[in-house]
Amino acid sequence: MSVSKNKGTNLLRSSEKSSLRRFLALYFILVVMILSLLGTFYYDSQKDLMSSNLRTLLSNHANEEVQELRRLHRDFPKRADYPRSDDFRSAIYDIERVKIFSGLKNPVVNFDKEINSNNNTIQFVKYLDDYYLGAKYLFIEIDEDTEWYRDIMIEILTLGFFALIILAIFGLFFVNLFLRPMKNSMTLLDNFIKDTTHELNTPISAILANIEMMNTDIMSEKNRKKLGRINIAAKTVSHLYHDLTYLTLDHNRESKDQWIDLKQLIEDRVEYFAILAGAKKVNFELHLNYSTIFIDTIKIARVVDNLISNAIKYNKRGGIITITLEKNYFIIQDSGIGIESEKVGDMFERYTRFNTSEGGFGIGLNIVKSIIEEYHLEIDVTSVLGEGTSIRVDFLKGAVDDT
Amino acid sequence: MIHKVVFSILFSVMLMGEYVQPEIKKQNTYELYCIPCHEHRPYSLERVYMLYLKTFSGETIFKASLKAFLKEPMEETSVMPDEWIDNFSVKSKTRLTDKELDEAIDIYWNLYDVRNKLH
Repeated sequence: MSVSKNKGTNLLRSSEKSSLRRFLALYFILVVMILSLLGTFYYDSQKDLMSSNLRTLLSNHANEEVQELRRLHRDFPKRADYPRSDDFRSAIYDIERVKIFSGLKNPVVNFDKEINSNNNTIQFVKYLDDYYLGAKYLFIEIDEDTEWYRDIMIEILTLGFFALIILAIFGLFFVNLFLRPMKNSMTLLDNFIKDTTHELNTPISAILANIEMMNTDIMSEKNRKKLGRINIAAKTVSHLYHDLTYLTLDHNRESKDQWIDLKQLIEDRVEYFAILAGAKKVNFELHLNYSTIFIDTIKIARVVDNLISNAIKYNKRGGIITITLEKNYFIIQDSGIGIESEKVGDMFERYTRFNTSEGGFGIGLNIVKSIIEEYHLEIDVTSVLGEGTSIRVDFLKGAVDDT
Repeated sequence: MIHKVVFSILFSVMLMGEYVQPEIKKQNTYELYCIPCHEHRPYSLERVYMLYLKTFSGETIFKASLKAFLKEPMEETSVMPDEWIDNFSVKSKTRLTDKELDEAIDIYWNLYDVRNKLH
């Protein structure tokens, strides 16, 4: 069996995108973490190298200073001028860490750390064996080389950036490689659903057409009831068929927007669902004013059908469905079970059903949501548990006929 | 005649006493008991100070070590060079009290304190 690519499969594409997004996010975080770690190691190694060079330099300065201190100690107090250098600054402290003399720019010294970087200065401490002038600690101070830090950071960021790009390219390549089997199997499944759905159309249409043509006047009451049940069952399957067709075939087709008489459409759909509502003794209460909207016929029909179908499905026996249509909005309100307010946001998620005793796949309101989003309409759900649910759809200015 | 001699001696002693006594009163413990012994030695008190400073570094250790040495002088605890000890031997034990010793050492420390002299 050949597997063909199917661009019309929303289910497949959104699943793919979601997996791709998650994988890439995870991959990106991991790559950034690894690169940060490598950057830190590189920075540390460069810092160690710099420290090693610096230690040698400062140690040489310290040895020079020790020689000067030795001479000063010998000549003291005839000569009492503390030895200074253009290359570094120095200070001496006694064994009790009391300052003897300091020429340091940064007065904060650390006796326990050989090299200490603080306040843009680097200080090196040497412990003296002979306490010239009573000095146990000799501090050598130089200004910190901030250019080194800037250069190394630029180097790390540049290398990190290029590494990130290369690894991102690898990531995309691997994602495509790993997703290919999943894509193929989902395309197969999608084709199967499409073929099956397509095959449902002819028998359902035949059943519904024949039911319409049957003369019920000559039927016995018992048979009329049986026929009514067949009609309900066929319409339920037909409704499901339309939802599946929309998901698998129609969703990505180009919209054919036109001015739709909403009053007429709602009346037609109410008539269509009347037999289903009748089975639950649910009555319609219509308050319809004239309103037209510029929209694709199939898509607005899916919105109205799913909202009415849900209002019937989740209504109580003998309940009422009130449909109000004004120029800029319509409201479909039922007197059913309602849902908890915190679950309202979840009701548009695909495959979400709040009552498993009712049929369906939980795809109806997800279709409504996708159409609402496509046409930038506004939907507002108000639900009280045990009292019912009211769904209001507002049309954007310009989408309705203002004349 | 004897009277004249006795009178002259008493008068001289009285005069000397009036002249010398104020000088003695002005001298401190350090000047009284340290300088006289060291002033004719080849190692001045300043050089000894620098030797102690080079060996002990901090003020507290400096003073404690010097005090311990003065109370119990030994070759092993002396900071002086061997040649010095060979020529002059180790000094005798001090007869000063602890209070006098502390006072003398404090004056000695302050007198040669390098912190006040470096510039």
